[in-house]
Amino acid sequence: MKDGADEETGMDLQQASAIMQETGDRARRALVVRRPVLLAVWGAAWMVSDGVIWLSVRGQRPYDGPTPAALLTLTMVIAAAAVFTVIYAGRAGSGVGGLSVLQRRILLLSYLGGYVALFLLEAAIDHAGASRAVLGVYGAAAPILLVALIIAASGAVFLDWSLFGLGLWLLAVAAGSGFAGPVTVWAVSALAGGGALLVMAVIGLRWNRS
Amino acid sequence: MNIDGLDPVIHGPARLRIMVTLATLPEGDDLSFSRLQDLLSLTPGNLITHLRKLEDAGYVTTVRTGAGVTARTSVSLTRDGRAALARYTAVLRQLLDGAASQLPGSP
Repeated sequence: MKDGADEETGMDLQQASAIMQETGDRARRALVVRRPVLLAVWGAAWMVSDGVIWLSVRGQRPYDGPTPAALLTLTMVIAAAAVFTVIYAGRAGSGVGGLSVLQRRILLLSYLGGYVALFLLEAAIDHAGASRAVLGVYGAAAPILLVALIIAASGAVFLDWSLFGLGLWLLAVAAGSGFAGPVTVWAVSALAGGGALLVMAVIGLRWNRS
Repeated sequence: MNIDGLDPVIHGPARLRIMVTLATLPEGDDLSFSRLQDLLSLTPGNLITHLRKLEDAGYVTTVRTGAGVTARTSVSLTRDGRAALARYTAVLRQLLDGAASQLPGSP
């Protein structure tokens, strides 16, 4: 096709339909951040990191807290998921501007600000003389509460009932998991928290395929 | 095959691809000229020509921001453009259904 030429003629109905299908598929693959992919990555990261912590504390009587190796594993798994997210979302969002970009930045800042606040609050609880067991329950359940609230609020922002439902489920997990005690709370978090994200990812992928 | 009823501004391979690509983004989002060009594998001159035609019809807007190396031209679908593509899609579907029903052996 020559520069500036307007040879836009001779396209029949089937060709138009095929162009729409093919272009739409290609644009979606290139531009859209697929939520099931992110849910799968973060669900797996959550399950592995809290699962490793549970493995490191499950024999402790009394509870003494995760081992340095388990905490290092948690940090590396979360960092790997974060790097994947930055690369994946950055690739899809390259050249894209506007409201959705702003929404994503506000969400990211909410997560970052929330985690900083959680760590500071944990330090304050520790400083106030909380036992290792209380810190264990807090360390496992408080992040679920943060994620639950942001996901439920995202359901309102994106008018998405499935996100809202996931947020409500995680709120229930956050509220109920603490009763499992400082050891089992990590297993509950891994299975009911990370597992819920993985289930949502599978449902989302199947829905997209159908 | 009869293409009456299809918007002639949209009904061309390059312009249809531009419209469909921009419609993938949520309302309120825009796409840089260079990313759009990359996605559609069109030359800059060709893309400009088709964008001008779509802009004249009120279907897309292009906004240039910054200067020099930070200059960025962004393209977005207008509300009219989104509505026009929806109409185009509906008419195309009707015409295809009509053509299918006229095939020998169809009920």
